[in-house]
Amino acid sequence: MRSGWLAALSLLVSAGAIAAYALLLRVAAVRNHPEGYVAAFAIAATLAGLAVALGRRWYAWTALVLTLVLLLGGATFNFVLARIPVSPSNLHVGSPPPDFTLPDAGGRSVSLADYRGKKPVVLVFYRGYW
Amino acid sequence: MAELQGLGAALSEAEKAGVEIVAVSPDPNEHSQLLAERLRLGYRFVADPDLAVTRRYGLVHARGGEHGEDVPRPTTVVLDRAGVVRWLWVSDNFQVRPDPNEVLRAVRAL
Repeated sequence: MRSGWLAALSLLVSAGAIAAYALLLRVAAVRNHPEGYVAAFAIAATLAGLAVALGRRWYAWTALVLTLVLLLGGATFNFVLARIPVSPSNLHVGSPPPDFTLPDAGGRSVSLADYRGKKPVVLVFYRGYW
Repeated sequence: MAELQGLGAALSEAEKAGVEIVAVSPDPNEHSQLLAERLRLGYRFVADPDLAVTRRYGLVHARGGEHGEDVPRPTTVVLDRAGVVRWLWVSDNFQVRPDPNEVLRAVRAL
């Protein structure tokens, strides 16, 4: 019976980690620590391993296989696929960046030079809709 | 967009008036601008569809897109009134964005 409880707990921890990460993606502390979901999957896989050790039932094995797949997938995604290779940028603290002129949504031109001597600028490069 | 929403929420109205947030992406920006207006964020969205400016800045993540296309490397830069870089954050994991409170601190330190 304890094996069943551990298997259930292991699946609950996995599901909880996925739900928490998805729902709290806008919270910087959650978004910026994606290794958190990998750690949760590792805990879940350990619990499932204990469940198998306590009773070699089909549900314990199922939990173990599922959590190991999540752990391997999550770790590969976070530590390999999501990595951006380091490359030198043209930005240096203490120097002005290269100027540019690009159109805004209304078709008007925007240049960094427009703000020089007038306003500080927060310049954000982002990928689009997310 | 995650970094933009957080930043807009962290800045007070007075701070929004005192600083210009210029957001560069390869997207056509009608959608972004509509979203910003709905969220009442004073952003200027500018389009860099072929990544020419992003490339000149050295901020391209080669083949990092969903379909193997080049995409920008998420980056946030704080420039002072003289146009000099005072704070810089470049992502090394595309899930991670700068903490809006850190950006805010850099803006307040100007």
